[in-house]
Amino acid sequence: MNFFSKYLWIALTAARSNMAYIGEVSSRFIFLGVILYIFMRLWQVTYHETSASQLGGLTLTQMMWYLTITEAISLSATKVAQEVDEDVRNGTLAVQLTKPISYVLYRLATSLGERTIIFSMNLLIGAIIANTMVGSTPLSLAGLLLLACTLPLAFLLDFLGNFIIGLAAFWLEDTSGLALIYSRITWILGGLLIPLELFPYWLQPLVKALPFASMIYGPAKIFVAPDINNFVEIISRQIMASLAFSICLIILYRIALRRVFANGG
Amino acid sequence: MIPAVELKNLKKEFVVLKRKGLWREKSTVVAVDDVTFSVGKGDSVAFIGPNGAGKSTTIKMLTGILHPTAGSASVLGFCPWKERSQLARQIGAVFGQRSQLWYHLPPKDTFELLARIYNLDLRDFTKRRDMLIERFALSAFLSTPVRKLSLGQRMRAEVAASLLHKPEALFLDEPTIGLDVVARQELRDLIREWNRDEGLTVFLTSHDAGDIEHVAKRVIVINHGRVVIDNQVSVMKRSFLGTKIIHIKFHEEPSLTSLEEMHGVSVAHASAYILKLEVDTEKTAIEKTIHAVLAAGPVADITIEDPPLEKVISHIYAQGLQTTNLDQGRGISEI
Repeated sequence: MNFFSKYLWIALTAARSNMAYIGEVSSRFIFLGVILYIFMRLWQVTYHETSASQLGGLTLTQMMWYLTITEAISLSATKVAQEVDEDVRNGTLAVQLTKPISYVLYRLATSLGERTIIFSMNLLIGAIIANTMVGSTPLSLAGLLLLACTLPLAFLLDFLGNFIIGLAAFWLEDTSGLALIYSRITWILGGLLIPLELFPYWLQPLVKALPFASMIYGPAKIFVAPDINNFVEIISRQIMASLAFSICLIILYRIALRRVFANGG
Repeated sequence: MIPAVELKNLKKEFVVLKRKGLWREKSTVVAVDDVTFSVGKGDSVAFIGPNGAGKSTTIKMLTGILHPTAGSASVLGFCPWKERSQLARQIGAVFGQRSQLWYHLPPKDTFELLARIYNLDLRDFTKRRDMLIERFALSAFLSTPVRKLSLGQRMRAEVAASLLHKPEALFLDEPTIGLDVVARQELRDLIREWNRDEGLTVFLTSHDAGDIEHVAKRVIVINHGRVVIDNQVSVMKRSFLGTKIIHIKFHEEPSLTSLEEMHGVSVAHASAYILKLEVDTEKTAIEKTIHAVLAAGPVADITIEDPPLEKVISHIYAQGLQTTNLDQGRGISEI
């Protein structure tokens, strides 16, 4: 119990720390509002011009809410790769090792604590915009519940990917390029702006099987089109990807710890 | 006395890659070379050396962050690199340039978090926290976000935070760096007080001679990975340089001719009635110099001092450097 309570407390402290400067990060919410408005107008024009009632199996209203969720998820991403990179370079990682906590779990708890707050704020703003523009049609209890079940694993998976990139600081001079490429791939292959059903048919099975789909597309799709079979499939993929990423992380972390050099004399 | 820290023939080598044209060549750098010493429980030790001497590497091995290449170490009965998490509950660490306090939150929130991290009993924690707040005079800024604190206030909170879980030994890595004179003195007093009153073992690294003089009783100097001096601060200061500083105030202008002719005596400063002499006691006995001073003119006041610790330290570092120049390449062997 103590084991979990310490990490829960770290997550709560991180959330509180994030709330302390919520005013300073409000620009993020303005950005979210602008982006959502632009893409919603684009989708409205697309549906109107094609005269289609559904695109990729989603109605215009569903598409708007899909976009709301994907944007809320991707814009809530914390700077895990950058923080791990800095911790490696400035020796904070070494300092953390003098405490009776796991550095990986410490970073995970911090990231989840911060992300929960930012995601909640993003969702609130996105929901207001979507509701104003297209109404609340796909909002259902089942959708909300299934979203709540898939989100933690989506956040975990994204954390693991970013942590691995941050650890690359042990070998690379600069990991920011790698982190940027990773985040853009996640956006494109994760279905941030376009649901994966609108990808070419031959590409869809591959893209859906990749871990990026489990981070963004999966939770958003299950929210706008709740379906238990789809839910089981998404959760299974998330668990499998999380296990694979965790194994990679553990191996890399062990190798990396042997490379902890002493900074300074 | 039971040792709190014990090192036996500790050695740490790093493999570094050097670019040579298109190829990379591996070479081994010896950061810590056959270091042996022990620190008794309740001792206060300054562990000093120039940049790159191996201080941080040694501290990182003692706190379990780094594995040594050879040798053994025991800190409070634990092997640091094998029993890091058990040891972490018994030691505290303060790094002057890295904070453990949450930047956007007040210190009291970090204290609450540390209570959970160290699994402290909440009643014991409250008592301990209140006592630390009083002793470190934290109450005025306990609820102020850390980003709004002065460096002196922050460092007091840092040290208090590292003492919350009642550690038996405290490792301090340049705790007074960047502090003003008053804040520096306050922090030194607090650490010394804790060492004296609570029996806390203090292991300090610093480049500030004042920290060493005020906090530590013993000093271990490391240079190029090896211990070059291990002695009491007072002994090192008294005996290492073999020089004395004499300040003299005369009633009338003195005649300096005989003093200037003395072997091993040099005039460091001279004005109308004031004279400062540096005496190499190995060349000229101090009493002989005093006789010459009294003969030079009517003395109003006289004080004899040891050279400042800073000077002693720079002398030791310079000596280490000379040795290395003669023995270039030691510590680096090509594979």
